[in-house]
Amino acid sequence: MLAPLYAAIATSAFSILFGLGWIDASVASCGAALGWAVYEWFPALHAEAFSVFFAALAAGLFSEIASYFRRKPATVYMIASIIPLVPGGGMYYTMLSTLEGNTAKSVDTGIATLMTAFSIAIGLAVANVIGRIAFGNRYRPLRSQK
Amino acid sequence: MHTEELLLFAADTARLMLESGGETYRAEECAISIITSQGGAEAECFATATGLMLSFVSDDGKTHTVVRRIKKRIMNLEKVSRIDRMVRDLKTDQIGFEEAESELDRIERLPERSGKTRIAAGAFGAAFFALLFRADVREAFAAFFIGAFVALVVRLSARLRMPDFIANLAGGALAAFCTLLLVQVGLLYRADVTIIGVIMLLVPGVAITNAIRDTIAGDFVAGLARGAEAFLAAAAISAGTGGAFALWQILQPFFGKGA
Repeated sequence: MLAPLYAAIATSAFSILFGLGWIDASVASCGAALGWAVYEWFPALHAEAFSVFFAALAAGLFSEIASYFRRKPATVYMIASIIPLVPGGGMYYTMLSTLEGNTAKSVDTGIATLMTAFSIAIGLAVANVIGRIAFGNRYRPLRSQK
Repeated sequence: MHTEELLLFAADTARLMLESGGETYRAEECAISIITSQGGAEAECFATATGLMLSFVSDDGKTHTVVRRIKKRIMNLEKVSRIDRMVRDLKTDQIGFEEAESELDRIERLPERSGKTRIAAGAFGAAFFALLFRADVREAFAAFFIGAFVALVVRLSARLRMPDFIANLAGGALAAFCTLLLVQVGLLYRADVTIIGVIMLLVPGVAITNAIRDTIAGDFVAGLARGAEAFLAAAAISAGTGGAFALWQILQPFFGKGA
């Protein structure tokens, strides 16, 4: 039950490494918690890739909305909020089994890793399209302007 | 129109965007919209993860071209958003060309995070990633301290201008070796969760995802380059941990009891 909270804290640590200020870091962490909650609680539709896709879609839509209100490019929030989802561990296990000479396992984890990365990228691309339709690549207008 | 300055300014903006981890198409769009907003025609930009080419035709009919190499890539999302802001303001004439140039200069010299902040972020990142992978409290504490240590080593190797490959190799080896040592002295029961928690500080998960995002956006060369970078980083980390495991097995007889 605490997993989304852990994801959020891990993400804020990374957001600070990535140079975000504390407001943006907290916003991105909320996106990460949302993404992880979707990933954990979404019924896995036959494959891990589907859960990851919907998690990335949720985090991406959240990032688009945050980008509109905070007047910053959505990719800033996207990169930070997909940190718990990205298949870093998969990349590591793939290369480790390659080094160990376990080719079958390395192909197995390698393909799973690529599928996860693809699902995240597609989820973000779909979120981007929805964001473009909704906000038209513009940010919330400044109040001081007419 | 100061064509030379405009060309260099647009190229440097795109270069900084790529160095800070912005998407390839965003860097290209930035350079092109700076040039068209200042009256240049036929602006074309071709960017990859390791360099970019930019050319346009000025109003006297001459073609101007410049090439920029990208040698370092350090994710800095604050720089990405400030460059985006600056280009948008320049496009809508809210700031002039000189103002935009000095803003780019300020963004370029934005300070990096201090060593203490990096170490603290590494410690918390490793601990909570371990918890996310269902570690217990003891393993999370171990990840906390080893994460801080690995962040310190990565910081030192960056300061000594070592290539990323060496930093990843050393980081992976340290993460595995420290964890195995804690298992040996009986503070931990298993090594894998702590190791993977710490390794998350180094692994190129964001890099491989960005590589595929670039490829989906149609930047195939940039996507391949970023993918190669990600695979090299993963290879370095696993060579480090694999080496540490191997060394551990050689040292095992000297410790007496088996872990």
